[in-house]
Amino acid sequence: MTIKVIGFARSTNTLRVISCLNELGIPYQLEPPADFAAIKKDDYLAKKHPFGKIPVLYDGDYKISESRAICRYLVSKYQGKYNNTILIPHDVHEAGLVDQFIFYESFYYEPVVAKIIIHEIVLKTPESEIAKRALKDLDKVLGVYDKLLEGKEYLNGEFSLADLFHYPCAHFIYSSHADLWDKRPNVKKWLNRLRNRDAWKASLEKKNKL
Amino acid sequence: MAIKLIGFAQSPTTRRVVLVLNELGIPYELESVTEIQTIKTEEFITKKHPFGKVPVLCDGDHVVNESRAICRYLVSKYQKDSKTVLYPDDVHKASLVEQYISYELSYFDPPLSKVLYQEIYAKRRGEPTDEAVVKQSLEELSKTLDIYEKILKDKDYLNGEYSLADLFHLPCAHIVYNATGHSDIFDSRPRVKNWLDKLRERDAYKKTYAE
Repeated sequence: MTIKVIGFARSTNTLRVISCLNELGIPYQLEPPADFAAIKKDDYLAKKHPFGKIPVLYDGDYKISESRAICRYLVSKYQGKYNNTILIPHDVHEAGLVDQFIFYESFYYEPVVAKIIIHEIVLKTPESEIAKRALKDLDKVLGVYDKLLEGKEYLNGEFSLADLFHYPCAHFIYSSHADLWDKRPNVKKWLNRLRNRDAWKASLEKKNKL
Repeated sequence: MAIKLIGFAQSPTTRRVVLVLNELGIPYELESVTEIQTIKTEEFITKKHPFGKVPVLCDGDHVVNESRAICRYLVSKYQKDSKTVLYPDDVHKASLVEQYISYELSYFDPPLSKVLYQEIYAKRRGEPTDEAVVKQSLEELSKTLDIYEKILKDKDYLNGEYSLADLFHLPCAHIVYNATGHSDIFDSRPRVKNWLDKLRERDAYKKTYAE
């Protein structure tokens, strides 16, 4: 039975999971809800996600939510089954460092880019104080990332789940703030590698079709 | 060589790691940071944590930071030597633990951290408490805890059996519960109360918070 993902192809969290499925070569079906209101209804809250969020993944009868947890599940179960892509290394020390970079994404990167996305794209208030402050914060975070990426193509040397997690949010705000990213040579090259991955391009096709 | 943990002894993030070290019976040395300036030096930023944060764990030559990443690393490497299971072997159970770990990050920690900052850290820094932020954060936390009350139906722990997901929730909840006036937000929900009570009964909890 094919894996089913409930989510919107244009949402950053769903794109995170679609990227992961594509990277590992796992076949799946995307089932978008009718609209955003549908995921707040009692039926959805009771059966799919108690916080009314997407994506939710079904693998047969098994259901799991939260994009990063879903991706880890896919790696645990399917890494190496459909292709040779490694998203979490087998070595415990390397995996520990990938985890560390995953938490950098959660704590220092995502909260800041999420604010920019919400204010610029969702609320359409790019001049708000919150958006302006978030851009300044992002500037500092990318300064740290530029040093982290010195001498490396990816955060932990080789491409991993940590790099994958960063890209969907970057995709949405890159074009309106290209200078912020591109003025840092290591960050610029890193983003370029991420956007040119076949799995990402396939994920975008999904977004653009729907 | 013993594991070395660098951190502020009483901070919730350091305690998160100490809880795991104690649950798995791993010997370690705590290198207590006493002044915040120590972790903002060029050397610390280059060698220990690029964002100038603690805790940082040194296991021989291996350095890893971010409390939840450190905890996962300890479980991956040392759980097999312990009788305590923090992370199940079965991929389906383990992934549900991951889901609850993500709930902690997404829905529990953000409002709780804001309350913690306003009620404890702001005061320490001599900043005024923003009551509006406290109120809004408590409302958000209330909604989260209403959902946790449903998740914990017929269960003592989030995924049925005790796991890393439960452990991750405890340190920030502990401080807000004990050191601010907001214990009722937890105690007014019987299953949430039962869950926290169970977490506090564990030997590792008692050992961690005795220190």
